[in-house]
Amino acid sequence: MSPAAVTVDRLEKTLGKNKVLRGISLEANAGEIFGLLGPNGAGKTTTLRVICTLLAPEAGSVKVLGFDTRINPEEVRRRVGVVTADIGVYSRLSARENISYFARLSGVPDRDLKPRVDAVIDRFGMASFANQRADSLSSGQKQKVAIGRAIVHDPEVLMFDEPTSNLDVLASREIREFMVESRGRGRCVIFSTHVLHDAERLCDRVTILHEGSVVATGPTAEVRGAHRDLEDAFLELVL
Amino acid sequence: MKALSIVLKKELLEILRDRRTLMVIGIAALATPLIMLVISQLATKTATQTYTVGYSGEVPAGLDVLLTATGLKLEHVDDPATAARQQVDIGVVFQPGQIDEYYDPTRQGAQIADVRLQTVLGRYEAAKVEAALRDRGIDPGVLHPLPVKVHPLSSPVKAAGNAFLSFFLPYILISMVLTGGLSAALDSSAGERERKTLESLLLTPAPRSRILLGKILAVSAISLVAALAAIGSMLLALTQIALPGSDTASSHISLSPLAAGVMVWLAILMAGTFSSLSIALGTLAKNFRQGQAYATPLYFITIFPASIIVFIPDFNPNLAYYLIPILNAVLVLRDAIVHNSVAWPALGVTSASLVATGMICWFAALRLFSREALLVKS
Repeated sequence: MSPAAVTVDRLEKTLGKNKVLRGISLEANAGEIFGLLGPNGAGKTTTLRVICTLLAPEAGSVKVLGFDTRINPEEVRRRVGVVTADIGVYSRLSARENISYFARLSGVPDRDLKPRVDAVIDRFGMASFANQRADSLSSGQKQKVAIGRAIVHDPEVLMFDEPTSNLDVLASREIREFMVESRGRGRCVIFSTHVLHDAERLCDRVTILHEGSVVATGPTAEVRGAHRDLEDAFLELVL
Repeated sequence: MKALSIVLKKELLEILRDRRTLMVIGIAALATPLIMLVISQLATKTATQTYTVGYSGEVPAGLDVLLTATGLKLEHVDDPATAARQQVDIGVVFQPGQIDEYYDPTRQGAQIADVRLQTVLGRYEAAKVEAALRDRGIDPGVLHPLPVKVHPLSSPVKAAGNAFLSFFLPYILISMVLTGGLSAALDSSAGERERKTLESLLLTPAPRSRILLGKILAVSAISLVAALAAIGSMLLALTQIALPGSDTASSHISLSPLAAGVMVWLAILMAGTFSSLSIALGTLAKNFRQGQAYATPLYFITIFPASIIVFIPDFNPNLAYYLIPILNAVLVLRDAIVHNSVAWPALGVTSASLVATGMICWFAALRLFSREALLVKS
């Protein structure tokens, strides 16, 4: 069996005076959608932020494609793409300029830049507003730009942190389709959400966090067990 | 270094599309000549304005002609002491063998009229004394046993121009280096947090030091452009404005090549320092408005050193004073403008001090830019 794309081992993290993560361990593999579930404040976002090197582990370790986040943070960031609910974009740049900027910073070679950016623009149907300044775009269009900039360097690990929380039905569906498509291309997709219906439909395996600890982990069907759905299983575990 | 260049280009592009920053540069380029013009007009008006002398009694023969020639208009009033409070600029009572003068020192017009009156009366008195001595067959030269002949080593008009530049130029340079790039600095630091682009930026593999350096270089470039635009337009305006009291070409104020070179060098050093400092402050702030509040005290930095030149024009400190950032730039620039010379040790210490200050600000900015709290919501 090939080694996991992301390995989190006994991870601990304190933010301010709060112990946010209390020894979390998990593994996410290439070619799967891995669900990170839990109520607000469970530690999902903090876990993702440690994995993508924005925060440093206090104890324990995190490896992404074999690179330790403490030792090789830049190598980790080169291989990771993160989509969040925040749709902040540079308002004085066009959609294309926003995506190109992040592509360059992520190390996309100059010769590949235009084809790569064009491919992202086509994939998310941004051609009609690609050259418009971002301050004139709608929320849905900005979200597409935000996704585009996160995946333009074609990362091997994709993390989605509550990506659909500010989106309408159509935009949410597009993101779900993209996750499935990425899994098909052998990418490791980590999906953090509290929308359990989405998680049950998409995720191959899930980990449920509660107050900074793992309370359940395994294949989705296994975690659901004898319950009617994942929501019932979740409620039983966290209440 | 590729990341640095990518960030620098993007920041410059954003700045050039930012109306706030462009407005600051535009206003600096336009407002400075306008202020110069107004100052020049006011100075000329003050020099040529006629002031009114309210008098009673009999004006000594010939004095009225001298007064009129000096811009003092005589107007008969019943009570000169009362009239001098508001109606006229000064009041004079001519009595046989004595002159009583009334004036209010709190009124600027009264002060100028008083100076003119004293000058005219001094000349009138001297002329009367010399005439009386001649009548008695005495050489008036006995009144001046040690006559002094003054030989100015430089043009007094030029000296006045240099004194003017030695205050205004450092002040405009420092204030424009700071304010010209402040909006851009806050936008690229506090603004990143406010519009929630910071997290995405820090997720790229680009080292944070390169990202920060790219931002600082972009802000420094804009600060420099703003300062040079303001000073360039001021000098251009000054070539069109003559100093009061002379209408010859030499009475126009100009900057020597040496002073111009020193100014550009100091502007570069200060731009780097101020950019690092303002980005560090912006990084502490959660949004643009909070960043502005943090940066407000910086404005005092611009006014205090320049004020020293006004209040202590002959301030000649020892070399240790040149370690004080900003004050040292003002002093070096003053020397370059007033004396058209550079004390190289002073310039060396000043440069080292500004570079060291810039490095400290850079490390502070990098430390703030690298802390986890930057991304953790409070």
